[in-house]
Amino acid sequence: MIINVENLVKTFKSYERGNTLKEVAVSLFVRKTKLVEAVKGISFSIDKGELVGFLGPNGAGKSTTLKVLTGILFPTSGKVDILGYTPWKDRKKYVARIGAVFGQKSQLLWDIPPLDAFNLNKAIYSIPDSNFNKKLNYMVELLGVENLVKKPTRLLSLGERMKCEFIMAMLHSPEIVFLDEPTIGLDVIAKEKIREFILEMNKQGVTFILTTHDLGDIEQLAKRVIVINHGEMIFDNTIDALKSHLGTKKLVSITTQAPIPPLEIPGVLVKNKLSDYNAELELDVNIMELNQFIDYINKNSTINDMTLQELPIEEVIKKLYTI
Amino acid sequence: MINAIKLHLQGIKSALAVRMAYRADFFISILIMLAVEAFMPLVTYLIYKNGASLPGWNMYEALLIQGVFMLSRGISFPFFFGMVWNTIQRVQEGTFDLLLIKPKSVLQMLIVTGFDSEDLGKLIGGIVLFTVSLVNIPFPGLGLWLKFIVLFFVSLVVMFGFGLILSGFGIVWIGNFRVYEIFFSIANFGMYPANIFSKAVVTFITAIIPVAMLGFVPASQLLGRPAEGTLIAVVSSIVFLFVSLLFWKAMFRRYNSAGG
Repeated sequence: MIINVENLVKTFKSYERGNTLKEVAVSLFVRKTKLVEAVKGISFSIDKGELVGFLGPNGAGKSTTLKVLTGILFPTSGKVDILGYTPWKDRKKYVARIGAVFGQKSQLLWDIPPLDAFNLNKAIYSIPDSNFNKKLNYMVELLGVENLVKKPTRLLSLGERMKCEFIMAMLHSPEIVFLDEPTIGLDVIAKEKIREFILEMNKQGVTFILTTHDLGDIEQLAKRVIVINHGEMIFDNTIDALKSHLGTKKLVSITTQAPIPPLEIPGVLVKNKLSDYNAELELDVNIMELNQFIDYINKNSTINDMTLQELPIEEVIKKLYTI
Repeated sequence: MINAIKLHLQGIKSALAVRMAYRADFFISILIMLAVEAFMPLVTYLIYKNGASLPGWNMYEALLIQGVFMLSRGISFPFFFGMVWNTIQRVQEGTFDLLLIKPKSVLQMLIVTGFDSEDLGKLIGGIVLFTVSLVNIPFPGLGLWLKFIVLFFVSLVVMFGFGLILSGFGIVWIGNFRVYEIFFSIANFGMYPANIFSKAVVTFITAIIPVAMLGFVPASQLLGRPAEGTLIAVVSSIVFLFVSLLFWKAMFRRYNSAGG
């Protein structure tokens, strides 16, 4: 176990300003303080080599949790042990062994080539020449950015820049890498490349923790998913468990010869009745088994065509978020 | 130590590369800086040319004080005072966090990534003004030079203290570049001979906030006319640095317990 978080709580003090001119003017002199509980007692642990996805709607407490884990914020209470360190206490020693990529904050320098920024990191982390060159060449090749690292950063596309952000974050061979929305705004091909890169580094033993709103990231990368909402952890299990979390529902689409019999029966939820012969519905196989359902339809009509799908992960997540 | 120097050199290299990416801007901003800095000595020159003077000091002595003042800022502004705008900008943009995930002290990172090539104009101006004044007065002996160098170093200590205070404000006062005005309105007292001020002001600028150290105290030492209360100014400079550091740390603690 390399990450252990117990009862993490973070409370912010925020000020209410009001929205009318009068309220704002008053708030210049007297401010109402309000305590915001961003994180309300989260506990989990992560093993070496895991690839864990953090999901949650905006403002759920994901970024706050990540900031505490990377040593940027002090928590209000709780215990965090990562690689044997308490992040906010042994910050300098601790951060030398982790890396981070923020999709919305660049670590590169806008006007000069990524290579110059890499060299600055080399000095910051005191990376020996030979290690630096080996690691750099390896990652540059893996991400296919040979021709880009010498171009000024401002001339790179978002996807190209993101690849360079990953190199920047991993030159010092971190054991754990935190990714905060690393694929935000990227096209399909760039996303694919970056996901491949993450999987390859993970295979080599790097532990990844990633927050994202892109469920493709979660489906293709994460073996384990932690869902946070309203500052609380509401789910922590595998991606398959997530899919079956809200019952074993399947999406069924049927076409029949004779009109479809009445579907107001337990376990069936009609999503879209296209015609008397054609319907899309959600089937909860815990209540009505699939063969029972087929028998029922066939008894009253004849199935011409039928497709069966897992409930898309978006649906599951939507339901989790609205709890 | 060697690593720290390497890191600072790399920081300077990157910052220069950034500014030089726009060649014209690089030279023009240094020239503008030089022109801005030339204003005060020019006023001094005009005052003396019109028959007026600062009581007890001839023109080149007055210019030497201003030369030292400019030199002190010429070294501190490019090499470490950049921590001020760097802090303000990063806190505002939200990139201050990125410094906290580097395995170095945040202050060191602020300085390394805050090198300001534009302010090299101040350094050039300071060297020119200092040299011109120096060749027009009797050349000081070795003893005076040694004392001057020590006091000049202390002036950098005071500048560092100011940098810490303004950077500390930058952490909690989001996006407020006005903090520079606080600095200049106080620091400019150091550019004139102290005897033109009232007793209370002199006490304030030597013993409380030692801005006299930024120009007048080291320069008067070099001129062989040591300022009254030099020793007090040295002690208060060191206290000033210490207090500034505590202030900065307190502001920083507010940041990482509350978040940006």
